[in-house]
Amino acid sequence: MPISEEEKSAALSRVPLFEGVSEESMTRLSAVTGEVEFGARQFIVTQGQVGSGLYIIVSGAARVVSGSHELARFGPGDFFGELAVIDQQPRVASVQAVENTVCLALASWDLLELLKHDPTLSQNLIRGLAARLRSTSEHHRH
Amino acid sequence: MAELDERPFPPGDYPVVVVGSGPGGLQTSYFLRGLGIEHALLSADEKPGGMFLHFPFFQRLLSWTKPYAQVDRHDRAYEWYDWNSLLADEPENRAIMAELMDGSSSFPSRPEMELNLASYAERTALRVRYGCRWEQTRREAERFVLSTSDGDYRCKVAVFAVGVAEPWKPDTPGFEHVAHYVQTREAASYAGKRLFIVGKQNSGFELATGLLPWAQRIVLASPRPAKLSVNTHSLLGVRARYVQPFEDEVLGGGVFILNASIVRVERFADGFRVHCLRSEGGGELVVDAEEVIAATGFTSPLRDLPDLGVNVFGQSRLPSMTNYWESSSLPGIFFAGTIGQGSAGMKKYGLPSNSGAVHGARYNARIMVGYVARTYFGHKLERPAVAPEQLIDFLLDEAALAPELWNQKSYLARAVSLDAREGMRDEGFVPLAHFVDEEGPPAVAITVETDDKGSIHPAVYVREEGRPAVETLLEPHPLHDFRTPANRARLVSLLKRPSDGRAE
Amino acid sequence: MNTTPQQLVDTLSGLSLFADLSRPQLEQVAHKLSEESFPEGQRILRQGFSGTGFYVILEGEVAIRIDGKEVARLAKGDFFGEMSVLLGEPPVADVVALRQLHVLHLGGPDLEGFLREHPTVMFRMLRTVALRLRNASRWRS
Repeated sequence: MPISEEEKSAALSRVPLFEGVSEESMTRLSAVTGEVEFGARQFIVTQGQVGSGLYIIVSGAARVVSGSHELARFGPGDFFGELAVIDQQPRVASVQAVENTVCLALASWDLLELLKHDPTLSQNLIRGLAARLRSTSEHHRH
Repeated sequence: MAELDERPFPPGDYPVVVVGSGPGGLQTSYFLRGLGIEHALLSADEKPGGMFLHFPFFQRLLSWTKPYAQVDRHDRAYEWYDWNSLLADEPENRAIMAELMDGSSSFPSRPEMELNLASYAERTALRVRYGCRWEQTRREAERFVLSTSDGDYRCKVAVFAVGVAEPWKPDTPGFEHVAHYVQTREAASYAGKRLFIVGKQNSGFELATGLLPWAQRIVLASPRPAKLSVNTHSLLGVRARYVQPFEDEVLGGGVFILNASIVRVERFADGFRVHCLRSEGGGELVVDAEEVIAATGFTSPLRDLPDLGVNVFGQSRLPSMTNYWESSSLPGIFFAGTIGQGSAGMKKYGLPSNSGAVHGARYNARIMVGYVARTYFGHKLERPAVAPEQLIDFLLDEAALAPELWNQKSYLARAVSLDAREGMRDEGFVPLAHFVDEEGPPAVAITVETDDKGSIHPAVYVREEGRPAVETLLEPHPLHDFRTPANRARLVSLLKRPSDGRAE
Repeated sequence: MNTTPQQLVDTLSGLSLFADLSRPQLEQVAHKLSEESFPEGQRILRQGFSGTGFYVILEGEVAIRIDGKEVARLAKGDFFGEMSVLLGEPPVADVVALRQLHVLHLGGPDLEGFLREHPTVMFRMLRTVALRLRNASRWRS
């Protein structure tokens, strides 16, 4: 069942990175966000692999694995790769589908292309990250 | 029979040597003499004035002196309306520029400025050894040795007020054939010529404005667009009186303003061909012109000081310096006059200080001399007591009136120390960047600041024992009378001292 | 550090923040930012103060201190001040020169316009801030 643009926008706006993004920018983001389906036991991302995108789980379930340890379980609405989509750092853990799982996927190169033409979105993202960084460092002070 | 050299300051040993007889050197010498510090004032020129002996070529200065202002000329507060006179303790030697202005403009011409400085030197009876060119520098034990055309001078402290007026051109191919701004000839000699000016800052536009009636065509070029002061709402950028070439361009009268970099210049018998690369991908452009002038800036003629250990930076080769204008790599070497812009200060909102201009540099010189006197010659700062009940008024009055603070916003501050045992003492004017970072006794400093929205307001910095200063911005006032109840109340709460019960 | 404009552009071309810029674009950047020099021990950013600007380090090293404690160091090619400017809040840390420091400075009010004119610089900045956040909070991504 194809996911509508509204559902995509809704899912994207729940990711903290995109909080406060304008409707116009959100529409453009949705346009470059695709759907990917994974069968049970398929790896969505592998530990150590260069991070290339953001994934939001729409349906199904996945487990977060580091080495042989399971760290967590993801279900619909959960996301990962929020920072990888920007900085492309290697994945710190693998994420493996437990059953048939459908994800929204935003590739970092598509986001970069978008940012080149949407400076307001860039600014929003930097501000958002800066604010979170500030609250994290303030938290560490006490 | 040999002529007796009656010039002052023969070669020899002096506590301080000052090099330069422009505004920086003259002002420094005046204050050194005032503190009784023996020094030699040397200049390669034949008379006082520094850069104002030659520049600007056309037009008037960019700094005002208003013969008619809201305060009396001999009041300290008048210094805010007079950016061209040097400072003096005697009222009769203050505001000299104002006496020379005939009322037709509030901006002096170059000859008027030159006369202003010459009059100052004469009336304050400053002695200068003219025709003495500083050539080399070295260290010997605890002394600096300055080799000059007249011989060697040894000193403990050397102050260089040599300006930033050494022509600089980039080494773009062909530029060796191009005249620099300083080589500009009489305006009439450009009659009927096509002129290409490299550089779109004030000097480039000064030339364009001055030669507009003569040149057949004027092209101005530099990589980035010109910034106009009327748009930046500050003194940054090309000043209002140079807007004429812009208007001319809009009207299609023969002025062309390009955003382009120069790739190379070809010289022919009858002129030049300038190869440009337009910014923002506009491609190449070839321009022919009979005259090309590089208004590409200046450096500071520091001679061998960098080899001696004075770090320099930037295109102007300014020395790296402390907040008291001392070389940060070679103590004992100080700077006065326009070079003092190398001490950037806080530069809040990106706005620079006025240290590069006379109206900022003259205060820097006074403070720098005081610092030299205390640090190198054992002088003690006079620190008059301030009555606790007068502290608030004292601070707010300074913010409202002190020309030091108005001319050097966010850069100089008036400080009062608040040590419980010594009582409140007036510490005079200090570089703000030094005050806020210094670890010292409890103290408060007030200055005037502006922000990116153009508001002018006092700012107070309160320093507790062993802690860096904390900033508090006070309220502005439409007529700049900051002695408002709100500001008073704020200061009272900031300066409350529960530890010693000295609450106001 | 003695720099001609060409040397300055050469230095800029080696900094990752400006890695995507062409030579003419680097020249524009060099013109828009002003060179400043600070002695050892000088604070460049001050905790709690207004009017901060944006700085890129050309030469030297700085310490980032919160309440007097060093939390990080930055060196050639690194930048600071952008957080305060973008958030419109005073810095939460001091930035102090550990030795003679040579920087490029852009006034706070000019940063937004500058980033808009150079979106690749903005993206590089975005990446650096993301990396800092990742290191600060050990995100699960």
